[in-house]
Amino acid sequence: MAQSRSAAGACKGATAEFPAGLRVLVVDDDATTLRIIEQMSIRCRYRVTTCTEATVALNLLRERKGCFDVVLSDVHMPDMDGYKLLEHVGLEMDLPVIMMSGDSTTSAVMKGIRHGACDYLIKPVREEELRNIWQHVVRKIWNENKEHDNSGSMEDSDWNKRGNDDTEYTSSVADAAEVVKAPKKRSSLKEEDIELESDDPATSKKPRVVWSVELHQQFVSAVNQLGLDKAVPKRILELMNVPGLTRENVASHLQKFRLYLKRLSGVAQQQNGMLNAVPGTIESNLSATGRFDIQALAAAGHVPPETLAALHAELLGRPATNILSTADQATLLQASIGLKHSHAEHAVAYGQPFVKCPSNIGKDFPPSFLTANDMSSGYGAWPSSNNTMGSVRPNNSDERVGTQYNNILMDILDHQQRQQPQQKQQQHQQQKQQQQQPLIHDQSCSINVQPSCLVVPSQSCDTLQAVNGSASVNQNCSFGMNAVIDYSLLSQKSNNSVSASQFSGGDTKARAVLYAHTMPSTCSMSSINGSIQQLQNSTLTFGGARPLPSPLPMSDRQDPYGLKSGDSFDQVCLRNIGFIGKGTCIPNRFVQNEIESSVSDFSQMKVNVDSTGNALKEEPNFINMQKVSRPIVERYQSCDHSSVFTE
Amino acid sequence: MLGLGADLLWADMNRLLAFLFHQGVLDEQFLQLQQLQDETSPNFVSEVVNIYFHESEKLLTNLRASLMEREFSDYKKMGNHLNQFMGSSSSIGAKRVRNVCVAFRAAAEQNNRAGCLRALEMLEHEYCYLKNKLHELFQIEQQRALAAGVRYPVQD
Repeated sequence: MAQSRSAAGACKGATAEFPAGLRVLVVDDDATTLRIIEQMSIRCRYRVTTCTEATVALNLLRERKGCFDVVLSDVHMPDMDGYKLLEHVGLEMDLPVIMMSGDSTTSAVMKGIRHGACDYLIKPVREEELRNIWQHVVRKIWNENKEHDNSGSMEDSDWNKRGNDDTEYTSSVADAAEVVKAPKKRSSLKEEDIELESDDPATSKKPRVVWSVELHQQFVSAVNQLGLDKAVPKRILELMNVPGLTRENVASHLQKFRLYLKRLSGVAQQQNGMLNAVPGTIESNLSATGRFDIQALAAAGHVPPETLAALHAELLGRPATNILSTADQATLLQASIGLKHSHAEHAVAYGQPFVKCPSNIGKDFPPSFLTANDMSSGYGAWPSSNNTMGSVRPNNSDERVGTQYNNILMDILDHQQRQQPQQKQQQHQQQKQQQQQPLIHDQSCSINVQPSCLVVPSQSCDTLQAVNGSASVNQNCSFGMNAVIDYSLLSQKSNNSVSASQFSGGDTKARAVLYAHTMPSTCSMSSINGSIQQLQNSTLTFGGARPLPSPLPMSDRQDPYGLKSGDSFDQVCLRNIGFIGKGTCIPNRFVQNEIESSVSDFSQMKVNVDSTGNALKEEPNFINMQKVSRPIVERYQSCDHSSVFTE
Repeated sequence: MLGLGADLLWADMNRLLAFLFHQGVLDEQFLQLQQLQDETSPNFVSEVVNIYFHESEKLLTNLRASLMEREFSDYKKMGNHLNQFMGSSSSIGAKRVRNVCVAFRAAAEQNNRAGCLRALEMLEHEYCYLKNKLHELFQIEQQRALAAGVRYPVQD
């Protein structure tokens, strides 16, 4: 794993190598994320151990106590809920635990905080975020030190330094930090309160009180019982009936609570008229459910992120404040951060670790700065996902169509051709193999095959018509070679339905393309007779249409196919050979060629097939054609035409 | 000559990557993966992607199997599968796959079986496309490595 470094020294202070050597335990059922985080940790020079199961991780932690500095855990795991693991670790090992999840909703993050997570990372976790996890370790240790030492050894510079480090945090943190800046002013009030409290000699060196969730709830229920106005520390204390709790503890806690509520109502006032509901809701939630059900709060009314941030911070900061007020007042005042930061500015305190908060209460109210972070981020940091959520596949497929429409037709045709054991086709198929899958993919994107006919450049008409019939025949022949065989085979296999769906009927162009391909080839080769017979047979079987038109003399090279009367003839041919268009799966290579007007040629050619004499006559044409359509022919030169026909 | 081939392949690879980014198939997280690859882990990206394929196929099979059940009702379990799929997809930067997962999850939350089926179809589709494209990418990468290797046969 990572290079070994002295972890012990790393935690004590900011050595040159720190945070290298941080011993991290990563728990995630998702092997992909696990591997990625492992690699990132290695890059950060941590000593990382990975685990896919929470139970295994717990055992590992128990067996090797003191062998890990921080735990990274996924929230959703099959064998044990991430939060449960979090609780266990917090209770048994008191290690900082960082949660990870793809879920960035506020409620999820809040749940993490509630269970005591030090941090909450949103997947995909970035390396920069991993580089910062050491702060939680340091913070915890410093808190513990502070607890024990109970001295003002902390210097502002250290906190500031850490603050600067944390400014390298993700942008979501920065966003949240700004969000929470508002409550800063109020925190000064608290500081004054604390000062007042500190003047009270009775509170100077009291043992620390951990305002756990349960304790706080007891407190809140007592307050509710008495009524906020009438709630006096003495009465609250009586109602709570907690041994060891002093009136002073309660008093300071109450003070903070009051300020907190006031601030909440004040913030809410800025937003909308929900403020009145908020304090009441909070209290009722706290007392009733015994849980800081921010979710319910949010549901109660539109609780803006700022309020929520403040809320979280407050809820979390409350106990800390209390403790501080009872304990290190002096230190508090000395530290520039002071309580004002430790409160709502939890979110802001990214750079200002919640040092004041002793690790004892870390479980329940850990300095989870990420709360506000994630909240704000949950609100807005992932707009891309929202925007692209509907990223329409069809659109994308269209793009692909646009870029690969040539291939589309190729593959559609290929798809059908695959059934035919054609050497040539196989050759071509191999060529197109790579494109097939994505194209099939495209096909499923409801790509209308009809566009394939669009592939035939409209200019082809012009060029063909401009050229002598021979020229057009040339082109036809070149394609037709393979097409003929395919064609006949296709017809025999009755792939009508398949093709029919592809080539939606009525598309003259498409058919023209097909015809053109097949016909010329039949004409050109004398050895085609056999295949020609097949072709004619197939024609009959398919169409059951009118018999082929009588062969037209091919002597007239100038206009061998009566191009001028092409239209009507086209119709005839098309009808006769209608099945061709429907049933053939002609390789796109044919389609790509300009064939439009070759329909008529096609029919003419076909006719000529009947008599070998005509076929022979065609040969010269074919030769000529080959010359003219050189680029096209070149494509298929690899095709063994003769073998095709002998099959 | 061979070096030229390597360069051409490099260009091919970049072109394919750019295409995939443009299409939204991949996002910057994939770049992060590439950056994590170094001498100590020279095949990191393909390793992670293979893990992803392996896991994803299992998940997809599970999803399809559970949706095809006649007495299907465990949307929650499907939601868990989806969460994992989402997490892994976002970890490697498979943006489109992840987005379909989000839609799928929404349908599952509404107990909309038809919607789930549709989403599953789309998910399988996107996944297949991603897989093919990534295979293509790795093929080019392999060829490039070969071509580069031949050019500089003496390597440390």
